[in-house]
Amino acid sequence: MTGQSKAMILASLTGLAIATALFMPWLGVHIPDWNVISRPSGQDIDAILFWQIRLPRVLLAMLAGAGLSLGGVVFQALFRNPLASPFTLGVASGASLGATIAIVSGIHVSLLGLSTTSLAALAGASLSITLVYGITRASGKLSPTTMLLGGVAISFFFSSLILLTQYLSDAGSSFRVLRWLMGDISQASIDSVLQLVPFIGSGILVVWSLHRELNLLSITDDIAASRGVHVERSRMILFFAVSLMVAGIVTVCGPIGFIGIMAPHICRLFIGANHRYLIPASILFGASFLTLCDTVARTITASAEVPVGIITAILGGPFFLWLLLGKGRTLH
Amino acid sequence: MARSEHIIQASGLNLRIDQTTLLESASLNLRSGQKLAIVGPNGAGKTTLIRCLLGLIRPDSGSIMLDGSPHTTMGRAQLARRMSYVPQQLPQRIAHTASEFIAMSRYAYGTDGNHSNDDPLHAAQQAMELTGVEHLKNQPLCTMSGGERQRVSIAAAIAQQSPVMILDEPSAHLDPKQRDIIHKLLMEICRENNTALIVITHDLNWASSDFERIIGMKNGRTLVDTTADAFICEETLATVFDAHWLTHPHPASGRPMILPHTSSKP
Repeated sequence: MTGQSKAMILASLTGLAIATALFMPWLGVHIPDWNVISRPSGQDIDAILFWQIRLPRVLLAMLAGAGLSLGGVVFQALFRNPLASPFTLGVASGASLGATIAIVSGIHVSLLGLSTTSLAALAGASLSITLVYGITRASGKLSPTTMLLGGVAISFFFSSLILLTQYLSDAGSSFRVLRWLMGDISQASIDSVLQLVPFIGSGILVVWSLHRELNLLSITDDIAASRGVHVERSRMILFFAVSLMVAGIVTVCGPIGFIGIMAPHICRLFIGANHRYLIPASILFGASFLTLCDTVARTITASAEVPVGIITAILGGPFFLWLLLGKGRTLH
Repeated sequence: MARSEHIIQASGLNLRIDQTTLLESASLNLRSGQKLAIVGPNGAGKTTLIRCLLGLIRPDSGSIMLDGSPHTTMGRAQLARRMSYVPQQLPQRIAHTASEFIAMSRYAYGTDGNHSNDDPLHAAQQAMELTGVEHLKNQPLCTMSGGERQRVSIAAAIAQQSPVMILDEPSAHLDPKQRDIIHKLLMEICRENNTALIVITHDLNWASSDFERIIGMKNGRTLVDTTADAFICEETLATVFDAHWLTHPHPASGRPMILPHTSSKP
């Protein structure tokens, strides 16, 4: 694949993302009148639906999709493992444990416009990031395998605590916990979009500034080091940048699954393994893909909405297999 | 200034991990453009020694000087501009294309602002021409044969344009023809770019025919450091390998060769 055709693919993905942002807010069970575009602060149903419900929701889905997809790209390269996802190191289970405890305990605190559940999720995510870092430090060598195994162990431990908390709680809270764990962006507001922007923005900037390091780290540590990369330093910076970004996403949207593990593979099939192209491709594709899934989630049934975390895998799984088998045929 | 003519000067290197001695007062000197082979039984410390030189592990004690400056004062990028590295084998899963992979080894020239005009693709192109892998340019490494991937790996090291290239058994897993191609290629690079080579190998006949100097390692020590002619004799081989082999001059080149053991067939 030449640089030119990669640029073409990136241009198409940019077009897709722009089209998604422009058209998806209009789609839904009720299609608002075109003239709402001139009335951002209008108080009629159509204006409220478009400006205060649909648009924030599309923007939130784009941000979350971009961040999850990018997080997957980074962790798969960092751990040289195709099964890695932004949730592999326990950020999502930490956040979920926090949210579970908040929901079950019924405590109400609010800070900086964040709900109790969000605050607890953020605290849980921070706890898991700290634990993974501490375990890796304590092991002496900052090897990716130690990080991976430490993170997976923490993830399982937290998941068991979530189940235990749910088991001990009443049916109503247990259902609300389950609902949160499915991943959901139906509560989107302009505030939640604005809360997420710094997480995603800083994550993207840090990852992009280290795209050459990521290429080398995805080969082996020895190759990266002998080419001049500060392996451990780069790995830690990337770990923190991605973990914080994902913590932000999970805090606002819950652990939306599938996209973080599969979107990177889908993008790699399109555009190859060079992170110079893979990073923008995964951001654009992830943003469009999650928004598309969410549009399906909120239109598929007229009466109720399906959580988007369910739709991502139902739509994405067959799509990925179709791509995989198609590529497989052309390679052999 | 007897010291400065050595581009690498390592002495008294010791390394123990847990209860195992990996290196014991090991030393190694290298002049610009010199070809040095490191041989010895498995577990002798050959790979550990080159990992110390490359700065991938730190010895417990001893000193490594590069161009007269201590190794420890140099940053990663500075080390990379002095030494390139070719591992025994690249992992098979690499999905980068050959030109991407080779361009990646220009990393050390793009980080400190002094080399902002660096064009990694140009360096990659040159290295591909030199190693004859131009036709693999846009092919992902994971779809290549072992020999092709190894040539790309060497091309990447060439593109790094360091005065020293360090290789760890670069032809160990290749068939005899691919092995010859790689050996010929390395000697050409050494001649054309005046690159010094440090090569770990178990191929003693290659060491004898293509290298000026051979270091024999055993139990973490650099036991023998001598010319290829002096090394390939029954006595030295017995000291380093605890084995008795016959040697005989090569019919064409006259270089001493090691003969296989006598047949046990009836």
